[in-house]
Amino acid sequence: MDSSNFENTKAIETKNLTKIYHGGIRAVDDVTFLVQPGEIFGLLGPNGAGKTTMIKMIVTLARPTTGNLRVFGIDASKSPETVRNMLGYVPQSISVDTDLTGYENLLIFSKLSYVDKKQRNGRIKDALEYMGLTDRAKDLVKHYSGGMMRRLEIAQALVNRPRILLLDEPSIGLDPASKMHVWESIKQLKEKFGTTILITTHDMSEADELCDRIAIMSDGKIAALGSPIELKKSVGGDVVTVNLTVAYPSITFPKEIGTIMHSNEKSIQILAENGEIAIPLVSNFFRDQKIAIDSISINKPNLDDVFMKYAKRRLHEEISPHATSARRDFVRHTR
Amino acid sequence: MNIARFLSSAVTVAEMEARKIRHDTTELWIRIVQPALWLIVFGVTFNSIKAMPTGSFSYIQFITPGILAQSVLFIAIFYGITVVWERDVGIITKLLSTPSPRASIVLGKSLSASLRGMFQAVMIFALALALGVKIRLDIPDILGVFAVVILFAMCFSSLSMLLASFMKTRDRMMGIGQALTMPLFFASNAIYPISVMPVWLQYVSKVNPLSYVVDAMRSMLLSGSYENLPIDILALLVATVTFVALASITIKRLLE
Repeated sequence: MDSSNFENTKAIETKNLTKIYHGGIRAVDDVTFLVQPGEIFGLLGPNGAGKTTMIKMIVTLARPTTGNLRVFGIDASKSPETVRNMLGYVPQSISVDTDLTGYENLLIFSKLSYVDKKQRNGRIKDALEYMGLTDRAKDLVKHYSGGMMRRLEIAQALVNRPRILLLDEPSIGLDPASKMHVWESIKQLKEKFGTTILITTHDMSEADELCDRIAIMSDGKIAALGSPIELKKSVGGDVVTVNLTVAYPSITFPKEIGTIMHSNEKSIQILAENGEIAIPLVSNFFRDQKIAIDSISINKPNLDDVFMKYAKRRLHEEISPHATSARRDFVRHTR
Repeated sequence: MNIARFLSSAVTVAEMEARKIRHDTTELWIRIVQPALWLIVFGVTFNSIKAMPTGSFSYIQFITPGILAQSVLFIAIFYGITVVWERDVGIITKLLSTPSPRASIVLGKSLSASLRGMFQAVMIFALALALGVKIRLDIPDILGVFAVVILFAMCFSSLSMLLASFMKTRDRMMGIGQALTMPLFFASNAIYPISVMPVWLQYVSKVNPLSYVVDAMRSMLLSGSYENLPIDILALLVATVTFVALASITIKRLLE
């Protein structure tokens, strides 16, 4: 037992985790990371980066080829049922049973999760209420909207009061209002119950909105890991754009303020570490040079920029099996 | 492993099927068409020409257990298609992500097939009575028939799930189902006695599980002589346990 190397307090801990599919595709390649209890951890990356495979290994639906994976200190390969008992899992595609009612979906799932008989009905009622589905509980799920199905899916993952909730692209295919509803519920789960949440997405605004920390995956590896703010900083600084009233041929700009990225006669883009601090310096510089400024604006990097920097998206590689499965999922959602 | 939990999970998976059937019974009614045709058209016709050496029983008596076994076989052998479909819509992933042991899910799925088989048996009993077919209606015999139906459906649905783990698509499972059912059916004693078969086919029918099932049902519904019954049921039980165990190991391949 090498349990001394693992702290039991970590929600999820992976060490050199690798999954190689038939045909030698390294879906997850030597990945090591930690998820702290009570945090919302985001796994980002383009299609086929290995996010879903990672989640499947945590849910013990896929077996790691090599490496170690622990959930609250429990080895996922050795005690898969104990691990699954701590998890709530919302898969990428809608997977509630549409031929049953919302209530029945929760009932069956709570029985399969061995929720105590005395608590079962209370839990189901709570989960329905929490996801705003109480008044449609007796309807067949096939008559639900996409947003309601997704909410039911999360309700289903909540009936066993999981310590970790795994959400595989929870807001895919949802309209903005439903998306907000789902986001609110996720945030509340963390705040009210201290649930640890691992979420995969390629929606940058979702990651920015929800996640405490983010790992960007690319080609099965973690390309960058940190808080959204740290990651944004790592892309480089802010871009200050200065528009001049009259064309000015050429400027030599002091390095201390920033570097010129791009300029034409009337507009100059300066890359600065901190845009707010750079603005007065920039404006002073131009005043000293007796050049009149029309306007100044700052552009701060967002997670899209982070994503583009770290996630090497290679379209010609999209024929991997993961890409086809992602496509299949997409087709299913738009059905 | 906790046996009570294991069984409760299996029953829950079957409960899921029961609830679905309750919401939509259409399939149950459609499924009665084929056995009805066999009994009403084929059975009645051959009954009147008395072409088959069926001993002291009329031909329609003779084939009633055969048609019952055949229609349960159809439900069971195509059950893998249902499971592949459920895989496609994510239900299997969902079931396998619960703390329930995998084998309990597979067992529950095979019980679901049995549930459909039992409805089928009820329908065929009703049909046989409506046609005036003389069958023994002792309670123990009827319970015995249902027990065989349950085991038989579990056996072949778990075989079907085992095959589905490797075949993975609905189209292939359709083909496999077709390729299996017809030979099993025609190389059995379901619609004619083994004695009229060519010799080579007689050998095939001796290793055909369907023959044993039909034999067991006939002994309970018609003859009332049970000497072969223990071996029939034992063989079925062994096959069922084997297939459920194997399918539990392979089912995860469906998700790959």
